[in-house]
Amino acid sequence: MTTQVAASPKPRRPQRQWAPYLLILPSLIYLAIFFAWPMVRAVRLAVWNETALLTLREEASADSSPAGALPQGAQVILLDRQSNLAADGGSLRTGALTETWYRVQGNDPDGNAVDGWASESRIRVRRTDEQGAPTGGTVRPRIGASADPLTSIFAEPNERSQVVGRLAASAGVQIPEQAILEVWFLIQGEDGAETVAGWAPSGNLQIYSSGEIGRIDQGDTGQFTMAYIQRMVNDRFFKPAMITTFLLMVLIIPVQFVLAIIMALIIQSQIRFNTWFLAVFAIPLAASDLAVGIVWYSIFTQGGYLNSILQTLGLIQFPQPYLTADTRYWIIIAIWLAEVWRATAIVMVIVVSGLQAISQEVLEAGEVFGAGLWDRLRHIILPLLKPSLQVALILRTILALQVFAVVIALSGGDVVTVLANETYRQYYTLRNMNVAAAYSVLILLISMVSAIIYLRMVRSNEEAAA
Amino acid sequence: MTSSAAPSQSIAQVSPEMARLRARARRRLLLGRAFIYLAAILLSLWVLAPLWFIASMALTTPAEVRSYPKGVLPFIPFSFETMRFFLQSRGIIPGLINSIVVAVITLALSTLIAAPAGYAISRYRYRGRDAYRLSILAVRAFPVVILAIPLAVIFISVGIFDQVYSLALMHTALTLPTTVLVIGSVFASIPYELEEAAKVFGCTPVQAFRRVVLPLVLPGIAAAAIFTFVMSWNEVFAAVVLTVQNRTLPAQVLVSLQQSPEPYKFAGAFFLLLPSVIFIFIIRKYLFNMWGQISK
Repeated sequence: MTTQVAASPKPRRPQRQWAPYLLILPSLIYLAIFFAWPMVRAVRLAVWNETALLTLREEASADSSPAGALPQGAQVILLDRQSNLAADGGSLRTGALTETWYRVQGNDPDGNAVDGWASESRIRVRRTDEQGAPTGGTVRPRIGASADPLTSIFAEPNERSQVVGRLAASAGVQIPEQAILEVWFLIQGEDGAETVAGWAPSGNLQIYSSGEIGRIDQGDTGQFTMAYIQRMVNDRFFKPAMITTFLLMVLIIPVQFVLAIIMALIIQSQIRFNTWFLAVFAIPLAASDLAVGIVWYSIFTQGGYLNSILQTLGLIQFPQPYLTADTRYWIIIAIWLAEVWRATAIVMVIVVSGLQAISQEVLEAGEVFGAGLWDRLRHIILPLLKPSLQVALILRTILALQVFAVVIALSGGDVVTVLANETYRQYYTLRNMNVAAAYSVLILLISMVSAIIYLRMVRSNEEAAA
Repeated sequence: MTSSAAPSQSIAQVSPEMARLRARARRRLLLGRAFIYLAAILLSLWVLAPLWFIASMALTTPAEVRSYPKGVLPFIPFSFETMRFFLQSRGIIPGLINSIVVAVITLALSTLIAAPAGYAISRYRYRGRDAYRLSILAVRAFPVVILAIPLAVIFISVGIFDQVYSLALMHTALTLPTTVLVIGSVFASIPYELEEAAKVFGCTPVQAFRRVVLPLVLPGIAAAAIFTFVMSWNEVFAAVVLTVQNRTLPAQVLVSLQQSPEPYKFAGAFFLLLPSVIFIFIIRKYLFNMWGQISK
């Protein structure tokens, strides 16, 4: 046996120095960015609706002063519309209504040069460059006897700006540039008993086909909400997932501990091929959980090893189905065995280190006084192992919350489901980030409670040692 | 004289009984030994049998995989047909490349950030050392992979979603606490006196570190790095959440699992297990240094 428990670090330099802080700084920064920040984001996603309220404006511009606010989902009446240059051209909300305006250069019926803006509804594009951008076109004729035969050209891409000239129908024009405008609506809706009216960009609204009414689709201001957590709790998979997660925990952990202690005692007994047994016991430590799930699937599937062996021994006549919705308990048993197989190694390693920390004399003393294995285990070994066992227990409890791929491999992910699985389903299948985040916050909370207990124990152990 | 004679007489008197006791103790010892060997062999079978099953399914023909009842004897007939079928499936080779790239970036990044921190927690005494150690322990105990969900939202808004290197950033967060603690215990196992002695003989601190400490800790750090590699290679939850086009190998196997035939599944499991089992055998000497320290 070449293994040994690493000596606890001996502090050597009592004087204050900057070096250690510089050395730990990168890891602190990294964990702040990739651990603390996502954790805050997870909580925010779970209880914060980013689009809860839509601010209405006095005028059809994001810069104008607010006239009120309406909650997401409120029914509204559309009173008026207006197009505006988007604040920064590229960042239009998906679903926003837009209008394209062209800057046109042409001659009016009197022969004066006109240079100004016209809406795409008034200009037919005839020529485009290689990129597809319009370069020239004609003014559309107006239909109907009462219609104005001339088309107004504006100083700015806005119907309320000054008219710089008027062009006749079918007049040819150059188009040197174009502008994309966002449509705003003047809306009126009710917030509680109060009627609120104001301008809102079309991207935040959902307009019904009549074109006169609609609803607030997305707000621009966040608000605290319990809706995601409620949706998580009311999901039909929530309760089964909770129950299965805790059931598996209760089933897996005791068996693991018994097996791990037996393995550790075997290693400790210094038999021949000791290191080989140790290496074999440690193999599952590095095994991928997905692969382990598939390995146990190969045993429990209908044409798998369990049925093959039973049939060869003549115990069954036909292959029995195990991993089906009707035989749910077999799936739980398969997951249980797979997890026991996979994660016992970690407990074993911790227990072996704990055993090695116990002085050999104490262990031998029991033997000298003729205590049997059971008595030695109960009165000497287990009490001395208590700190290691506690630590292993907490680690295993938290790791049990992460059981994921094993369940997918053995149940397809919906017949039997666990919390981590539901997180994945909400994220991947249902595309619901907020509910997925609510699940991850739940898992984090359960682990945090365990971690606090864990840290308490570490501290009390260190105090006991000091 | 009498005082010395009395005990010798008493020894002579209990001697037959003592012999009987010794014989009984020896019998019990032998029985105990036999029992320990039996338990060791049974537990080894418990660990090895599933591996045996999956290996014999992966190294045979797909027709044999579908047959029933299956023989317990492996590799009959021996063939790479199933493995070839798996490796030629869509997304497997790119997934393999992605997995290796992610694991290598994770390994490099994690070791680079963790090595100085590990040195600091084992060599210096400073205000906040215990707080730092405790927070690293707390992070290690946390289900860090769950943070893949908010990280996906962050990555989408920053524009680095579905990238191999952004997954490696997540995996680094996952492996960093373990790597810090492991490297810390590696440094702690090298007596500081060696460094001091080197300084006494005229080395500068940097020279002492490079000439004396570094050669001693390199194998341990390499073992820690290999373990980091294996953790990243095995990780599937974050991989499947943070990638869409650039799946890693386990993520690719997971998303295609339900639509895949059994030969694909079994070959995939075998292929995923192979490197990690080999790695564990390479680093088995260091396992206890690592986990013994972490569990404290």
